Amino acid sequence: MNGRIPIILISGYLGAGKTTLINHLLAADHGRRIAVLVNDFGAINIDAALISDQTENTISLTNGCVCCSITDDLGTALDALTLREELPDLVVLEASGVAEPSRLARHAGNWPGFELDAIITLLDAETVQLRAVNKFVGQLVKSQIEAADLLVLTKADLVSNETCEKLAGWIETLAPGVSVIMAEAGKVAPELIVGLPARSNLSQTMKEEPHEDNFSTSHWTPPGPIRKDNLIRKLEELPSSIHRVKGFFVDADTGEAVLLQRVGSRFSFEDAPTKAEVGFVMISAGSPDELERGMKILSSIVDVSPLHGPSVVHFN
Amino acid sequence: MSEITVFTARKIRTMNPSMPEASAVAVRDGQIIEVGTLQTMKPWLDAHPHRIDESFVDHVLMPGFIDPHLHPSLGAVLLSCHFITAMEWKLPDRTCAPVRSHEAYLARLKEIDEGIEDPAEPLITWGYHKIWHGAVDREAINAVSSTRPIFVWQRSFHEIIANDAAIDWMGLDRAELERHPQIELDSGRFFETGLSIAVKAMNLYLFEPDRFKNGLELVKKAVHYGGHTTIGEMAYPLLDDSAEWNFLGEAIERDDVPFRMQIIPRGALRGVWDGEIEDEVARVESYASRGSHRLIFGNGVKLFTDGGFFAELMQMQEPGFIDGHHGEWLMAPEMFEALARAFWNAGKRIHVHCTGDLGVELALDTLEMLQFERPRVNHRFTIEHFGVSTPEQVRRIADLGALVSANVYYVHELGEAYWQHSIGYERASQMARLGTLARHNVTTALHSDFTMAPALPLNSAWVAVNRIAESGAVIGPEERIDLDAAMRAITIDAAYVIGMEHEVGSIRAGKKADFTVLEADPWETPVENLKDIPIWGTVFEGQPFPIAK
Ligand SMILES: [Zn+2]
Ligand SMILES: [Zn+2]
Repeated sequence: MNGRIPIILISGYLGAGKTTLINHLLAADHGRRIAVLVNDFGAINIDAALISDQTENTISLTNGCVCCSITDDLGTALDALTLREELPDLVVLEASGVAEPSRLARHAGNWPGFELDAIITLLDAETVQLRAVNKFVGQLVKSQIEAADLLVLTKADLVSNETCEKLAGWIETLAPGVSVIMAEAGKVAPELIVGLPARSNLSQTMKEEPHEDNFSTSHWTPPGPIRKDNLIRKLEELPSSIHRVKGFFVDADTGEAVLLQRVGSRFSFEDAPTKAEVGFVMISAGSPDELERGMKILSSIVDVSPLHGPSVVHFN
Repeated sequence: MSEITVFTARKIRTMNPSMPEASAVAVRDGQIIEVGTLQTMKPWLDAHPHRIDESFVDHVLMPGFIDPHLHPSLGAVLLSCHFITAMEWKLPDRTCAPVRSHEAYLARLKEIDEGIEDPAEPLITWGYHKIWHGAVDREAINAVSSTRPIFVWQRSFHEIIANDAAIDWMGLDRAELERHPQIELDSGRFFETGLSIAVKAMNLYLFEPDRFKNGLELVKKAVHYGGHTTIGEMAYPLLDDSAEWNFLGEAIERDDVPFRMQIIPRGALRGVWDGEIEDEVARVESYASRGSHRLIFGNGVKLFTDGGFFAELMQMQEPGFIDGHHGEWLMAPEMFEALARAFWNAGKRIHVHCTGDLGVELALDTLEMLQFERPRVNHRFTIEHFGVSTPEQVRRIADLGALVSANVYYVHELGEAYWQHSIGYERASQMARLGTLARHNVTTALHSDFTMAPALPLNSAWVAVNRIAESGAVIGPEERIDLDAAMRAITIDAAYVIGMEHEVGSIRAGKKADFTVLEADPWETPVENLKDIPIWGTVFEGQPFPIAK
């Protein structure tokens, strides 16, 4: 693995519930060190103490000038994180309501020592469609949807089922194939947001306590080495309700251990430690049936029937 | 009371329409006592001790020039760089002759490199422009020096090109740079979000406190050199407040500084929605007690709508940008509205940074709403920058009683570039549409937003009356303004925009004795040569300050 710290970008317009979601995430028991940065007005809101080590010999700009590009609080803040005694496992970057997430993701996700894990956009079910036609923020709200690897519809409980369905259809036209999670009061299962722990023993995650939130995970151990190109083909067929796939496998072409990570429609392969236990985990907020369908697709990669059939656990 | 000093001059252009020309001005204790001729002011002179100062008999006096929007702290940073520019840049400590070919560019870079004694000192040069200087890449700069870190900073701040020594100096793993989609390690180019990685390294050098202080000294000279006696810092603070206040106080509140600065605080330090708006109003109010003689906190406040014009992050109405990218909001429209309402209701003069026509639209929609909720007259709500706008917006500006402070230099530097690469000819040629403003009688100031444009009011006025783009062609001739309007825009109308028209901006009894002393009369100079009129220096509150030759 490359050792870069993953960044999850939480985007969404004002009132979409970004802070609530992050607070819920921080309070949850996920066993990871999460650093939260809040991007705002082209600047990052962080403890002055955090950056004081860095700036001893220079003058710090509070939040820069908007007419030129001379300051960069985001980079400064990310650098400051790398100087911490205990490195975070994960950075959650709360984008300002008016941030174009793809631009911010390019900036933060390519900062030395960091990489983008996922862009998650929150949408306020009550107002998002209205905002999307607003002359000042319409384009922005749409590009926040289009950039997302994962969409969270907040306040879905405040609108009728019919509205919700229509909303889902409308979202589908803007972001085809991107999963949409319904969330009440910012409560989204941390696994859906931050994925599963980075430890190599995936099956262990199956024994964790069930969560109050609606999501299911599924585990599959491939019986032998897998070809990357076959795997990619299968990944593309997965139902959109499957938000995350993570797995260690042995590459049939090289014999090396590889880590696959997929969020939304993006995926990456990295070298993995050889001692990693092979196995795939899928996380879904959809119905258990869809998860099962996903598992079937994935396990059909090998013609031999799997040694352990796909097991589906639904936490409710 | 001191004795009266009477300055006589070849001509005094008062910018007071009630007495546009004069030949003598009597001054006492920094204030104008009377304007006219030696003959008309005889009663004052008979009644009080006086002396006649004839040092300006060959000169033309104008009211001290005013730039209502520039940023000394940013200027301090840029002026510590080496300038290699296609256009001539006249700076107080150097005149940068135009450099207009690839060979000349590299030769000049080499010359600068050889002029720096310490072989390890980074060299940061600003002003590179591909159209003039060809493709300057990593290898080309390596050939200039393989040991000294060299950063070539593109003129519009969009891009930095670094040599290998500079890349090493950044102290980063090359693999981290290689994977960046907006860094091209082969050519040494850092652009867009990749730019911040190079800027971060450069800032370690540029923001070193002694260098910064030295830069501030250069800015003071540049302000004097342009003929200013009053400037506005339009977005305080840019640095940490206490640090910046100390730097500015030390540098500017001194007897040998020939200008005053009105400081316009930014209305929000942060863009967070949950921030208490009352706290922001209270913070802005709290600065008022801090003023000194030369550093004044007035009634203004600065807000922002859309992104930077040089960065092409202005918010555009349809049909947007040629390449389909989108601009940015600097604060959420709802937040802008809430802040504007709070400051409007607190009776503040609101200045709004607006660069694209959608940014202008937001400012005007908001102003219209506020006028409906709580009508105000003489509110002086000002559109700052005024990059792209529509003629209909100008009419609304007039109807709503708003003002404009324009960075007309955009036309000269970006007019043709934005025609070719950004928004096409029609809208690019009409950026900073001053002609339409004049036809609607909208009070308009010109500003430099230094370092976005040279801090030279005569240069801004020259662009406003000629609209000569960088190639020398005239673009958007219908948006030119006449000389009178342009000169008002750097004197009395600029004073009006920052609420100081009762004190400065024209030469009349009772105002501050601030003059810009010119070697030629702008009204007797061909308008194409306006920018080349030499400035002898200034008189600040009655005291002459020649520009060091
Ligand atoms: Zn601005
Ligand atoms: Zn500015």
